[in-house]
Order: sequence, then C-alpha cells, then structure tokens
Amino acid sequence: MEGGRRCAGSLLYCALVNHSLRAALATALVLAGCTPSTPPGARPAGTGPRYFGDITPPADNVFRFANGAEPERLDPSVMSGQPDGRVARMVFEGLTVPDPKTLASLPGQAYRWETSADGRTYTFHLRPGLEWSDETPLTSRDFLWTWLRVLRPATASRYASFLYPVRNAENYNLGELADSSLVGLAAPDDSTFVVTLEQPTSYFLFLTQFYTCLPVPRHVVERWGDRWTEREHLVGNGPFRMTYHRRRDRFEFGRNPRYWDAGSVKLDRVIAYSIDDLNTCTNLYKAGVTDWNPSGYIPSQFIPYLRGFDDYRTGRYQAVYFYSINTTRPPFDNVWVRRALNYAVDREAITRDLLKGSRDPWGNFPPSGYPGYRHPPPISYDPERARECLARAGYPSGKGFPKTEILFNTSEDHRRIAEAIQEMWKRELGIQVGLSNQEWGSYLQATTALQYDVARRSWIGDYLDPTTFLSIMRTGDGNNRTGWSDPTYDRLLRAADAEVDPARRMLMLAEAEARVLDAGVLIPIYHYSTVELVKPYVRGLYPTALDVHPLTRVWIDRDWNRHPAPVAQLPDRVRR
Amino acid sequence: MATFLLRRLLLIVPTLWVIATLTFFLMRQAPGGPFQAEREIPAAAKAQLERQYGLDRPLLYQYLAFLGNAARLDFGPSYKYAPKQVTEIIRESFPVSLELGGWALLFALAIGVPLGVVAAVKQNTRTDFAAMTAALAGVSIPNFVLGPLLVLGLSLTLFVLPPALWQGPESRVLPVLTLSTAYVAYIARLTRGGMLEVLRQDYIRTARAKGLAEGSVVFKHALKLGILPVVSYLGPAAARIVMGSIVVESIFAIPGLGNYLVTGAFNRDYTLVLGVVLFYALFLMLLNLLVDVAYTWIDPRVELR
Repeated sequence: MEGGRRCAGSLLYCALVNHSLRAALATALVLAGCTPSTPPGARPAGTGPRYFGDITPPADNVFRFANGAEPERLDPSVMSGQPDGRVARMVFEGLTVPDPKTLASLPGQAYRWETSADGRTYTFHLRPGLEWSDETPLTSRDFLWTWLRVLRPATASRYASFLYPVRNAENYNLGELADSSLVGLAAPDDSTFVVTLEQPTSYFLFLTQFYTCLPVPRHVVERWGDRWTEREHLVGNGPFRMTYHRRRDRFEFGRNPRYWDAGSVKLDRVIAYSIDDLNTCTNLYKAGVTDWNPSGYIPSQFIPYLRGFDDYRTGRYQAVYFYSINTTRPPFDNVWVRRALNYAVDREAITRDLLKGSRDPWGNFPPSGYPGYRHPPPISYDPERARECLARAGYPSGKGFPKTEILFNTSEDHRRIAEAIQEMWKRELGIQVGLSNQEWGSYLQATTALQYDVARRSWIGDYLDPTTFLSIMRTGDGNNRTGWSDPTYDRLLRAADAEVDPARRMLMLAEAEARVLDAGVLIPIYHYSTVELVKPYVRGLYPTALDVHPLTRVWIDRDWNRHPAPVAQLPDRVRR
Repeated sequence: MATFLLRRLLLIVPTLWVIATLTFFLMRQAPGGPFQAEREIPAAAKAQLERQYGLDRPLLYQYLAFLGNAARLDFGPSYKYAPKQVTEIIRESFPVSLELGGWALLFALAIGVPLGVVAAVKQNTRTDFAAMTAALAGVSIPNFVLGPLLVLGLSLTLFVLPPALWQGPESRVLPVLTLSTAYVAYIARLTRGGMLEVLRQDYIRTARAKGLAEGSVVFKHALKLGILPVVSYLGPAAARIVMGSIVVESIFAIPGLGNYLVTGAFNRDYTLVLGVVLFYALFLMLLNLLVDVAYTWIDPRVELR
C-alpha cells in the first residue's frame, strides 16, 4: 500500500506556510495543555493515570473518530487508501473477517471453508439467509460477480492484482483472456463459492479480508452505475450502514439490522470525520470531540510528549521507511558505491536522536512479525567497511565522487532525516550530496520515471506475509523504481510461490531478502509503529500490525474507571 | 449605464478564456498526472482510466473538448473524487466558503469601520494610537498563527468553543474571528485615511458652521465619502476573503471550496482545478463589477460610461 497519503495533511501546509514555524507553534499549542514542567514522556511519580484531554464518555452509544483525508472512492472494488478502506469495512463484509487483535481470518460471510490437499482450491460455504441491507438475498453469485468485476479490465481496479493468485485472473485482468468462465472462480450453488488458485498461496485467507474482495450488490451497481455509492443508493452487507455523508466533513453510520450478527454490534452510531490536518485531528481528540485518533493522524513532533499518557497506544506496524537508489545512474550502477552508502548510515542515531525513539531502527527490508519468517542478518552501521567499499568502487576517501542528490517529498520530517544522512555520508565517506525536495506529484513522477539519484520512500504491507514487500523488487515491477533487476531474485520469488511447504517457502524468501540487501539498492532506515490515541472508555479496539480495525464489536464503557479492561472475549460467533 | 454593464459583462468572456487557456496548459506542465500513486497503478488500469477520461487524446483535442464543455458549464467528473462532477463539488462546498467569508466580511466591516471613524475623529490622540496599533497587529498576525492560538485558548484550555468542524453556530466563531482579523485591521486603516481626508473638506466645515451635531456631521456627511476607499476595497476583499480561506478551512476542518483548489493542484486533478479556478475568476470579476456599480450609488459624481 502506498505510504505517502498519510502525510497529505502536512503536505498541504508546506505549500502554504513555513512548515517549521507552524510545527513549532503547534507543538507549543498542544503542549500547553499538558504540564510543561515534567520532562517529556515521563509520568510524575505518585500520580494516577494521565489522559490527553477530555475523558467524558459520549452520552449515547456513539463512536467518533478522525478518518483522515476525504475518501476518494467508496466502491470497494476500485478503492485504494486507508480512509476509504475504513469506510468500506463498516458497510461491507467479506468471506472472512480479521480478528480484531491478530488479524487472523475468522468466519465472516462464509461460516466455514475447506482447502484442498494441494492448497490450490478453497471452497467457501456462505451462512444461510444472508441479506443485503435492502433485504435482497446475498448469494455466492454476488461474490462471483464482484470478483470478476474487480478483474474486468474496464473496471480499472487499482488492486486487481490482489486476485492474481486466482487461476487465469492475471490474464483476464490484462485483457489477454476474454472468457471470464476460464477464471478460477465458481458458484456451483447459492451458498458455495469455489476459488481455484494458480499456486498454493499461503496468505490467501488474508486477501479475502481485504477491501478489494468485499462483495458489492450487483442489483444496485447495475441500476445506478458508478453513482451506486451515493449515500441514498448505497447498499451493503456489513455491520453498519451509511446514514449521512458530507464531503470533507463526516460520515455517519447506524446499525444494519440485516447483518447476520447484528446482535453483537454494540454501537448505535459511528461518526467518521474527514480531516486533512493532523493538528486538527489531535485537537479534536483532546477536546473530546473524537474518541479515537487513529495511527498516522498525530503530528510526529507530538509523539515524544504524548508517550506519558495512558490513552497513547503504540505497536509495531508493517511498514518500513527506506531510501532507494537509482541503479540506472552512475555511479550508483556500481554495487560497491551502493554498499558504501548503506554501511555509512547510522540508523540508530536517526531513530534515537532525531525521532526521539518514536520509531525503531531497521536494517532489513520486510518488517518484523511475519509468522514463520526469519530475516537474514540486517545491514548495520559500519563506517570502516563503508570506506573500504567506496575505495573499492574507485572513490577512495570520496575523491572524484560526482555531485548527487537525495530526493524527498516536501515534509519537515523527511528533510531532517535527509540532512542527517547527508551529514553521515560527508563525515564517513567524504562525499557531498545535495538535497532536493519536491511536492508530492512531482516527487512521484521523478521516482516512477527514475529521474533521481537517491530517494526517500516507504512501503506498507497489505497482508501478513513477506511477499507483500519482497514482490515489489521483482524485475520491472511498477513499485521497484530503482531499475534493479536480478534474475536469481525473481527465480527465488517464483519458486516460493509454487512451494507448498511453508518452512521451505520462508527460507527461499529469506534468501531473496538477503540478495536485495546485499545488492544495496535499498537503505532501510526505520520500522514504523502504529501510534494512536484511544479514549479509555473505548473497548474492543486493539493495535494491529496492519493498522486494520474491525469496529463490529467496539463498545463504549461508561464504567471504565470502576473496573479494569475486561478480558478480551474471543468472538463467540459460529466457528467452523 | 446599460452599455457599461453590457460591455463589462462581454469583457468577462475573453478574460475567462485567457484564464482557462493558461490554467489548462500550466496544469499540464506540472510533472506527473492524475493517475499516479505511491503504489503503482497497473499499466492496464492506468491506460483504461486515461482512455475513460480522454487523456489519451492529443492535447489540442483535449483542450478544445474542454473549452466546448466548459462553455456549457460542464467540467466533467473530478479525477480524484469520481463519479462526483466538478460542478457538484462547487455547488456543495462553495456555500460553505461563502458563509464563512460572508460572516468574516460582515464582522470586519462592523468592527473595522467604527474603529476607523473613531480613530479619524480623535486623530493623534491615545484612542487613535491604540486603535491603529491594534490594527497594525491585526494585519501582521498571519491566520495560521492566530487560528491555533485561538483554538488553544478557547477550545483546549477553556473548553468553551469547538476546536474545529462546521456544526452549529458555535463552530462559526473561531474561524470567522481568525479569517476576519486581518480585514478588520485593514478596513479600520482605510476608513481612518478616507475620513481624515473628508473631514478636512470645506463642505464639512460648512456643515459644522451651520450648527449640525458632530454625530450627524461625521456619520451623515463625512462617512458617505470617507468610506469610498473601503467600498473599492470591498470587491477584491470579498473575493479574497471567500477564496482565501484555504488555511482557515484546513485548520478548522471546514468543508469549503478553498481546500479543493490546493489538493486538486497537488493531485493533478485537472478538471477540478480548472473548474474551481474559472469559478473563482468569474466570482471575482462579478464582484468587481458590483463594486463599480455601488460606486455610482454612493458617489453621484462617478458616472459609468
């Protein structure tokens, strides 16, 4: 998933005002509400819990949160981006749903499923009596129709590649196969949905949770065309239904009485505010207007100060901040130059001194936390080795190294990191690099068209498997953006795709990661964390590795301060 | 008068055409395009989208098609917020900007004009200095500083007003204050300058000589001419206050039109930018025309030809 949209708010301001001035001011502003005399992040000894702002629960069962930028599309089949996804997951439900803590697939619209012995066929059994919110029956044909719609070239779905593990899906999506009946999807009867895969895809059940795979109501789409997502036409099958929408203002949701598990939905209403500006998001949380300020909507300079509060929550997030090197431009076509740049970056110093410990230094490409995956040794800070590499490349002590530039999209955070790295390269390698910042659109164009030397980038995992990272470095992948190509790497990934044994598959992936690290095309810098603010009376909302939060079972606990957080109940829905 | 109006209205058309042409080609000069994201859009999907929106056609063809549609007030769908049409977006969000700007302008006039009059009447006294110092401060504080300061004081410390959002009358207070302060100050200074000039004129001396009350002299006789600089400033001010609320809309999360212009430019949302720019240009020209007409009404010496 793209990593840049999260900073759209601050990006907007950069063009308008002097960002650092505003940032400094904003820090002063929010901080004025805390006790300024205590050291940042420390809790004064002998005091009880501290909360950031108002902690009065709302009068009724309503849950309010900041949803970031206004969603672009409300049609799950074509949407991309987190705010869009949060809305879709409330209104629609897939075959499987994520566990609110672990994100493991739980039964959703399908109450059970079987996998064939070769791992290539999934048979989903839908719950009996499923209905859309307009009381039209929902059948496996709705899933069949939706998934084919995602793949149809005319739909131009940005995430159609999510369904590429399905047999013939890629060819059909690329327009090389016209007959949709050859795609490995079938609905033999109203309650059975059979998916045939090209390869055993161990993470397939994660894909079925993803918003691209959510079912859309054929009868509504065909009646209203692309206007079907307007509030007055919208029909879903999820726990909530949309009752109000005003662009750049808010969405309101009420319960969907037709939802199969409507009895478990505890919230009467949910309000999602569309707010671009991160300071505004945090102010609204502090004032008690919102109950949840999700990850990504807190200005980074506040984080060290918010850490001491009990409603501040953090967890590991499947995303990595890195620099990518354009290998098509000399001197970066030389692997020794790239290695030199890699070893000369002190990521500990960046995360400790610059980011005040709000991020973890990271020397690998895929982030941590993939079950069964063991990373190869990370790239570490080794100035001696860096100098050796540079000498080997023919630039001893940086002599004769051409003038190059670090590219980043306009943001104060990116600038500070770029300045630190510029300084490290000068200190350790004796080379001079310039800094170049561009606004978002120009930056994207420059990285896509390989018109840069070294560029700041980030990548966010879409599902819990290392391939969500490793696959972007394949030869010619649209997200590779380094010009790097390694046939062995490509072959390892292809072999891993076909491998049935999970342990062997993970070994192949680790070998691939070792290759991309060794080639030095990427300079990993830090591992993202989720950083969110949640009022203490909100129950059932947990930090997760993909920052995905099912709201179905969230509730408002008006007695929150009289008893500890209840032991999380595993969803008691029908198990397989 | 009628010929004047007709000529000015007709002049709007070529002006809009020039603005449309410049905006169209300048937008296309910016690197990248609307269908580009950090996560690459698959080539096939991108091509399909470009075909759908006619972006695969030659630029000249696109330009002519755009002009033809624009003449029928059809700017097509926003690329970012499809299927929403640009005209729908303007219709939805402009009233919000208009309301915010309207209140801010009213507030600026209600405070700025009396402040300027008092300062002029009491020229070179402490009252005058105090009023003009306040005005200078108001002009100097940028709204992106003032807005957060007001939020900090009134919303996050005293908890008396909401820190953002556009819901209910109380949510209007802070954005209107933030937006209008600079205009209060400027209007006060203009009024003071205009009044000082008028108060020195012979007909004011005559009015005083025939024994009119000072209040009547100031408000009935002097203010009518003294306010002319403010009136001529009102046209551009109204346009700026309505369109220039981008920062305020962002700080207070107000669903107005200003924000669309900025994000539209960042997103290379060609249709949205063109629609909003042309709309604002038209709005500005109509306001200026209105000011010229208002002039003849206030000052009969002005004749429109």
